[in-house]
Amino acid sequence: MQKLLWAEQQKLRRSKFVWIAVFATVMVAAIIFIGGLVEYDGVRDIDTAGWYMSVAQPLATIFVLSAVTALLGSYIICREEQEDTIKSLQLIPVNEAKLTIAKMIITLIFSILLYLLLFVITFVVEAFLHFSDLSIEMVFGFLKAYFLDGLGIFLAISPIIALVSQMKKGYWLALVITEFYSFIGLFTSMSDNLKALYPITAVFTISGYYDATTSQIILSCMSLLLCVGFAAVILAGMNKTTTNCV
Amino acid sequence: MLKLIQIEFLKLRRRKFVWMMMLSALIMPFLAFLLFKYAWTADGDPRQFYKWSAFGFTLWIILPVVLGILSTMLMYNENQYDMLKQLWIVPVSKMRYFFSKFFVVLIYAVCFMMVTFISSVMFSVLLEDIALDWGNVLFLMKKCLESGVIIAFVILPILAIATTQKGYILPVSITLVYALLGFIIMPINMYLSPVSSMAVIVARNGDIPGLVFTQAMNIPLAFLCILVWDMISVLLANIALGKRN
Repeated sequence: MQKLLWAEQQKLRRSKFVWIAVFATVMVAAIIFIGGLVEYDGVRDIDTAGWYMSVAQPLATIFVLSAVTALLGSYIICREEQEDTIKSLQLIPVNEAKLTIAKMIITLIFSILLYLLLFVITFVVEAFLHFSDLSIEMVFGFLKAYFLDGLGIFLAISPIIALVSQMKKGYWLALVITEFYSFIGLFTSMSDNLKALYPITAVFTISGYYDATTSQIILSCMSLLLCVGFAAVILAGMNKTTTNCV
Repeated sequence: MLKLIQIEFLKLRRRKFVWMMMLSALIMPFLAFLLFKYAWTADGDPRQFYKWSAFGFTLWIILPVVLGILSTMLMYNENQYDMLKQLWIVPVSKMRYFFSKFFVVLIYAVCFMMVTFISSVMFSVLLEDIALDWGNVLFLMKKCLESGVIIAFVILPILAIATTQKGYILPVSITLVYALLGFIIMPINMYLSPVSSMAVIVARNGDIPGLVFTQAMNIPLAFLCILVWDMISVLLANIALGKRN
């Protein structure tokens, strides 16, 4: 597994994808910053300590980051099929299910790093604008929230990535499904129960973006675990098919 | 030109996914139906319902994303398999090739908005407190047609970016950022992004209830914004295709 992880990391290093994802994250942060410059009753949102770090989480997730993470997951899985390297890998032989798990671990790390990058950008801007208003407790609270966002979003979209890995050439499908999957989160956030249940908004319940009761947090954890379970079932099915083929 | 457009559609016939994306036109009418059935009330005003089913997120988020993906798909396969060389040998004019893709996007956008229109009317009929009024139905159809045409021009920069790239990741990522930019930049300056300029054109004369603009409405300026972006896009596509020999 370690070798597979190393190989995946090396492959990703050569790909432009990482830089494009970084570019998308920086652009999203910049757009949200611009959004914060609007004055409401003579007060700009961006002048409120913590606003930028707080609002960047759902906006970046719903519109861009979840789709970018799903795109990466599906891209690194589908490119083997697309570039016909999967045959060479099967000849080695590499266990396809293990390969997919390695790719998913890379996607998880990538998701967390993307959110940490967003945290760094928002924190630097907040520190530049009103350093004295930021407390260590607040900053570490947001750091924890962003880390959990990265982890949670990966868990929430893991069934889509697993499904795509089964369909092979489905990266477009992964992108579209994830975009609408996260978009629906805008509506589920209107109801207390739905926002704890729906995987995308459940991430924010766990990360602390929403004020939630213990039962809601448990419900959200269960929702994300269900997603992981669903992804595991798909991957296990894949493993079975591979074994049968051999 | 018509032949080129026809060929583009024949190519799309084999791509079921493109037609599956059309189903996303049903998302907002269905969600609006659920919201007005269980959470809100339209007070008998169909425009309140149409605002959510056809003009809200469909126009600012869903359709730009769908068209951005379609634009990327239209360019991606030929770029990836180096099919362009064969097209240039035929010969096919580079700009005709680009505009044939644009017309596919335009027709797709209009069809998408027509699906939105039909589903909006159907879901509004299912709501008990909205009576079917032909005046409002015609208004919705007019607005859907209008926005379907305008949004194709709004998405032209994405099509141009897709021509410059062999891959699909950058154009798709830019699509997501582009849609978000248009959505967020609206309260600051409506005439910077084509997406927010489209909002000004579609919602002119207070046609969409509840949509508040922070700036004075200037329709010519909104058209100018889209025109400037489109001219730069065509220029970019021309340069990019010119380099592909």
